[in-house]
Amino acid sequence: MNTMQDNPKPNISSTADLQREVAELMVECLNLEVTADQIIPDAPLYGEGLGLDSIDVLEVALVVSKRYGLQLRSDGADNRQVFNSLRSLSDYIAAQRTR
Amino acid sequence: MTPHPTAGQAAWAHTPERSSMLMLRVMTWISLRLGRRAARGVLHLIAAYFLLFAPASRRASSDYLGRALGRPARWRDLYRHFFTFAATIHDRVYLVNRRFDLFDFEVHGEDTLHRLLAGGKGLFLMGAHLGSFEVIRAIGRKHQDLRVAMLMHEDNAQKINSMLAAINPEAVQDIIGLGHIDSMLRVRERLDAGGIVGMLADRTPGNDTLYPVQILGADANLPIGPFRMAALLRRPVVFMTGLYLGGNRYAIHFEPLADFSAVARGQRDAALQAAITRYATLLDQYCRKAPYNWFNFFDFWQPADTTMPPKS
Repeated sequence: MNTMQDNPKPNISSTADLQREVAELMVECLNLEVTADQIIPDAPLYGEGLGLDSIDVLEVALVVSKRYGLQLRSDGADNRQVFNSLRSLSDYIAAQRTR
Repeated sequence: MTPHPTAGQAAWAHTPERSSMLMLRVMTWISLRLGRRAARGVLHLIAAYFLLFAPASRRASSDYLGRALGRPARWRDLYRHFFTFAATIHDRVYLVNRRFDLFDFEVHGEDTLHRLLAGGKGLFLMGAHLGSFEVIRAIGRKHQDLRVAMLMHEDNAQKINSMLAAINPEAVQDIIGLGHIDSMLRVRERLDAGGIVGMLADRTPGNDTLYPVQILGADANLPIGPFRMAALLRRPVVFMTGLYLGGNRYAIHFEPLADFSAVARGQRDAALQAAITRYATLLDQYCRKAPYNWFNFFDFWQPADTTMPPKS
């Protein structure tokens, strides 16, 4: 139950700039054959969409945690949701980044 | 995938993992009621059953043994191969139940393991469907830091977990189901805590990219996923196999396989290829040393791009 003392994190949306930056990180660390602006923000990262496998997604996770100072944990927030698409990942970064 | 306890011989032949699950279920039932010595009589029936009613497994066995023994395999060789498989599956029941007193283990290269663990960053322990990986539990009994978390395909993880729960509820927490970011993060956390993550790296857990190698003088393909993960997480990799020597005897071997701790990103691909090639060499070496311990009962030897191993 929310009380006045609770301070729920606002649902921050990522900017196009941040999405672009994250897309560039992904292209670089995975040597993807697409360019950053070809990654559709809402397309799934796994399977049908960008076609990443779980090890690719791990690599992305390691790179973005380092770059933005995130603390990703297996029992943390809904990681599957976070890594669903470029947009969801960027939104998460926008809300949680420490640098 | 749902389990098929009544799967017929064709399904057994084509899906080794399901056959071993079914066998484990049967063996658990028998073992817990009859004890190891009596239950081993049943193993002969199982070996005979495979020999007679699993033609695809028999062909795969014959093909493999021909390569490993360097001569055409005879019926008694095939029988011994199936019997060895049944015996190791059966012994899992006791190993999971921590009945190490029943066995005689000789251990080679354990110092490699301890030296690398002393770094405190954990390591990957890579085995194969070669002998028994479960015997690692016998090593773990002496050292608390040797708890191994097995990483495997989620479908199998669920099946094996329910099986382990039936045998020994305490054994369950040691399995990580492959496939999602959470499990990958669990692997990293396990390693960060100085722990061991185990994998059987000779079969692909899905649509993994394959890398062509030579094993027993012929073309085969190995999945690169396990090594990619080790390279990405920059950890040492130790090879392990627990070879069944007959009776109650096992020989457990540890071999240094690769160390990605200090590999720069630009050198990662080369290091990865060197690691897979070394893994293939170790498989070759131990297949020749203990030929009846190879438990891939499907057509493992295929030229590049055509191998379709079952989900592991």
